Amino acid sequence: MNILETQDITKLYTIGERQIAVVDRVSLQVKEGEFVVITGSSGSGKTTLLTLLSGLDRPTSGKIFLAGEDITSFNEDQLAEIRNMTTGFVFQDFHLVPSLNALENVMFPAELAGDERAAERARSLLERVGLWQRSHNFPEQLSGGEKQRVALCRALVNTPPILFADEPTGNLDSRNSREIVSLLLEMQRESNTTLVMATHSPEIAALAERILNLHDGRLVKEREDHPAEERGGMEAKEIRLQH
Amino acid sequence: MIKTAFNRKFLLRELVHGWRHSLLFVLCVMLSLMTMSALNSFKDGVNRSVFRDARQLQGGDIILHSHYPLSPGLTDKVALLKERDQSIASTMIHEFYSVVRSAGRQSTLLADIKVVDEHFPLYGKVELGSGGQLRERLQPGTTIVAEDVLTRLGLERGDVLQIGSGGLRIVDTVVHESDSPVSVLNFGPRVFVAAADLDVIDLVGKGSRIKYEMLLALPEGSDLQAVAAGLRDEAIAGQERVNTFREEGSGVKRFFDNLLFFLSLIAIFTLLLAGLGMQSCLTALIRQKQETIAVVRSVGAGTAFLYRHYVCMVLGLGLVGALLGLGAGVALAHALPMLFRGLIPVQGTTSVAMVDLGEGLLLGLTVVLLFTFLPLYRLRNIKPVAIFRKENVSSRRDGVFYLTIVIAAAAIAVLITAQLEDTRLGLLFTAAVLAFIAAISLVANLLVKMALRLNLQTLSLRQALRSMTRAGNASRSVIITLASALSLLFVIYLMEHTLHDTYIESYPANAPNLFSLDIQPDQRQGFVEFFEEKPQLFPIIRARLQAINGEAINRSEELRKKRDNFAREFNLTYRDGLLEDEQLQEGESLFTGAGSGDMLDVSILDTVAQMGDIDMGDVLLFNIQGVEVEARVVSIRTRTKSKLYPFFYFVFPGDTLRDAPQTFFSAVNMEKDKIAALQSRIVERYPNISFINISETAEDLEVLMGKLSRIVNFFASFSMAAGGLILVSSILATRLERTREAVYYKILGGRKSFVYRVFLYENSLIGVFSAGVALVVAHTGSWALCRYFFEIEYIPYVSATATLVLATVFLVVFVGLLSSLSIVRQKPARFLRENGGG
Repeated sequence: MNILETQDITKLYTIGERQIAVVDRVSLQVKEGEFVVITGSSGSGKTTLLTLLSGLDRPTSGKIFLAGEDITSFNEDQLAEIRNMTTGFVFQDFHLVPSLNALENVMFPAELAGDERAAERARSLLERVGLWQRSHNFPEQLSGGEKQRVALCRALVNTPPILFADEPTGNLDSRNSREIVSLLLEMQRESNTTLVMATHSPEIAALAERILNLHDGRLVKEREDHPAEERGGMEAKEIRLQH
Repeated sequence: MIKTAFNRKFLLRELVHGWRHSLLFVLCVMLSLMTMSALNSFKDGVNRSVFRDARQLQGGDIILHSHYPLSPGLTDKVALLKERDQSIASTMIHEFYSVVRSAGRQSTLLADIKVVDEHFPLYGKVELGSGGQLRERLQPGTTIVAEDVLTRLGLERGDVLQIGSGGLRIVDTVVHESDSPVSVLNFGPRVFVAAADLDVIDLVGKGSRIKYEMLLALPEGSDLQAVAAGLRDEAIAGQERVNTFREEGSGVKRFFDNLLFFLSLIAIFTLLLAGLGMQSCLTALIRQKQETIAVVRSVGAGTAFLYRHYVCMVLGLGLVGALLGLGAGVALAHALPMLFRGLIPVQGTTSVAMVDLGEGLLLGLTVVLLFTFLPLYRLRNIKPVAIFRKENVSSRRDGVFYLTIVIAAAAIAVLITAQLEDTRLGLLFTAAVLAFIAAISLVANLLVKMALRLNLQTLSLRQALRSMTRAGNASRSVIITLASALSLLFVIYLMEHTLHDTYIESYPANAPNLFSLDIQPDQRQGFVEFFEEKPQLFPIIRARLQAINGEAINRSEELRKKRDNFAREFNLTYRDGLLEDEQLQEGESLFTGAGSGDMLDVSILDTVAQMGDIDMGDVLLFNIQGVEVEARVVSIRTRTKSKLYPFFYFVFPGDTLRDAPQTFFSAVNMEKDKIAALQSRIVERYPNISFINISETAEDLEVLMGKLSRIVNFFASFSMAAGGLILVSSILATRLERTREAVYYKILGGRKSFVYRVFLYENSLIGVFSAGVALVVAHTGSWALCRYFFEIEYIPYVSATATLVLATVFLVVFVGLLSSLSIVRQKPARFLRENGGG
């Protein structure tokens, strides 16, 4: 069953007198529990596509169905609710709330949802990523890798059916990158969460079940049904070995 | 390295892109100069048009003053001078309060009576309603009165006014007196009587408290000091005063000097707050421009390039603000006479001269540079690497930061001192402001720390509290600034209401409301017969305190004291027991009974004991109208109520002063409506008796207090405006952080209402903290003023206080939310696209 489906979505930006299609008539489907990677060069529209799919932005035209609902017709508050309960997002730049400590950052979406077990769930996730000892540290007191682990916990605290990740290792060194990808995949598999990740790293892309390739905002190539045993290659094995 | 010294386009781009900050900056400069220049212009105007000539204000070159008929020695000396030099002119004035009434009617009025001869005025002018000359219009058998006398007694020109024993025909009205430019400090309206009618009215010589004044006009070039010194030799020390017009003080001028000085303090306070606003705006602008500056530096621009452009920008904006401020200040100065209406004759101050533009601009630019030095200095901290690192470099503190603070504080002290034209006061005021701000900062920090420890369950409230402590957030500065301005407004409000409630509203129904003065010994019996219930009469013996324990009172030193002092004449009394509202503080009984003819017993009031550090057993030497009397302090009394009951500093045993020259005083309570008729009946029989009708006096006092508080509130509101500008500039300064947080809330599923709630709570918290701090400071100040200055009961005004808090919170929330609207509307995707970091 498709948890995410788009029909000819286009996103136009006006620059001066010109209109540029950053995402151009993209149609795709993502199944529940699937791990899909969106690749493409810089400026190909990966991040924009991800913001559209996750309800952070609206397409200029086309439709997006998330968990069976046409989110293109949603107002701001309905989109906010979708972002809170249905999706999780991991950014390249972490985007942690600076005035909250690690624990509070993780708890925040659950608290917004009115979850009384927010603290308990946040603690469990921080313990899972080995950061419980740093739970009272503020973002400025954390390293890049630690920030991204906190961001991952925050994205998962409401156990969303679908997780979006935009270059989650883009600001990390190789060791932290491996750890984050490893954690991301493990947690995705454990909760059977759908994962849609934008990356231009071929090693990470090799781990995906399906790879969508964007060029100038258009979906130009799709590699489908990559069997689990064939996925990965050396990099993936290394990640698994290290964990 | 960029070789171009100046890039106009770069400067313009920076200005246009940061237009909000620039506008706020200009408003801050404008506000600071507007208040200052308006007040300075107005002050100059008042001095020029109301007190333009000290000679006119005093009415003569040399003033002889006494509360007794001038001594023969002094009058002979004047006569000798006039004989030697025919061009010396003199005029004799008798001035006193007395009840006047309309002939055949029941209406009475306490009036300020001035008996003048045909030479008055020597200098200046008395403007009359008819446009005529006083000398010509005021003839024996006539009187000239203030318009108020006609209105309040229902009389017209041509009617007869009863003054003392005589009836005088009203021939004209007084419009303005150059030697008495304002009537606000007088208890009654003016009534002019010709000297020839002094015997007709028969009010002098029967114990009325009269001010005897002789004014002398000397030929141009006379040595006033020498003439005054010669006259002083003949004057009775401690009783008669001889001064040149330059030496003679003016109560009216002192009153206005004090009021305008106080307003100057408020204007300086506003200037300081607006200065903080300028600093906050520039910090916000530089923070917004941090990335641009880093990019410009990365392509080769040096620190000098940045300084040139930013100093230029600051001076340009400062110049615009200063010009606007000076313009607005002059306009405001022209409107101020309206605000002062009733205190100062409006027509006297409309011709306000323009302040010196150069001086004003210089002051403006000095203030701008003083308050912007620090943010400008920090430009050098923005390195090219800031492109990659999003940290806020403008908050780093180094040695130069602290040195700048010290230099800026010193420069501000110099500025204040120059403005107040008094080094000691300037330094004291600077120290007081610093202490005041330090106290407010302390309370604000304590409150914020306490709040942060709260375990709040509501997510949005918790977020709001956290947001207050976000990096670079100026919450504390905003709280301190707002609280400073609010404290001032709150103290004024609290004191105004406390004084109103103490003296007017809660004046006990059974407390005396009619005081009768100057009752002669032979009038006692007749006087008490006017009342159904015989009133108690208190003897009054006028005397001076000459020495304490053999040490003579230093009158010139005493006169320098701001509060009550021993240089004045005291009213002594005698009786054998305590009054109802008195208690003994020291001593077993009021008197020991051991006093004899050489050394009498005296009981003193605790306030006079504190005033002169007088203790039990101390010996006081009094001069009772020429007779020296020694008395030993045998008890110290205190009063149980702080009401307008009669009280006496010095009380002697019943039989000791019975033969001294004395008058009597009574305090009775009666129905308000019956007072006028009774006064009229008593005055008809005893014209010399004066009255103080507390109900009327209280109303006059209330009107005066209302006017004064309106003026002070008007000026204090500029401080509030400065606080508002700081609030807006702080929101601009943290705009990026606020927007980022708002976007994060939305990304994580927060609805718009949630974001609004967080901002609402954050601004509410700032409002509550500001009001809270202001209330703590204002109530402490108000309590101290009540306790130590006015010596009245402190009233906390809980509901009014709550209203003030709510009004403050509403204002802060309104301004805060209005400035945050665009932040809340920010689209997450757009923000993420345009701003990285986190």
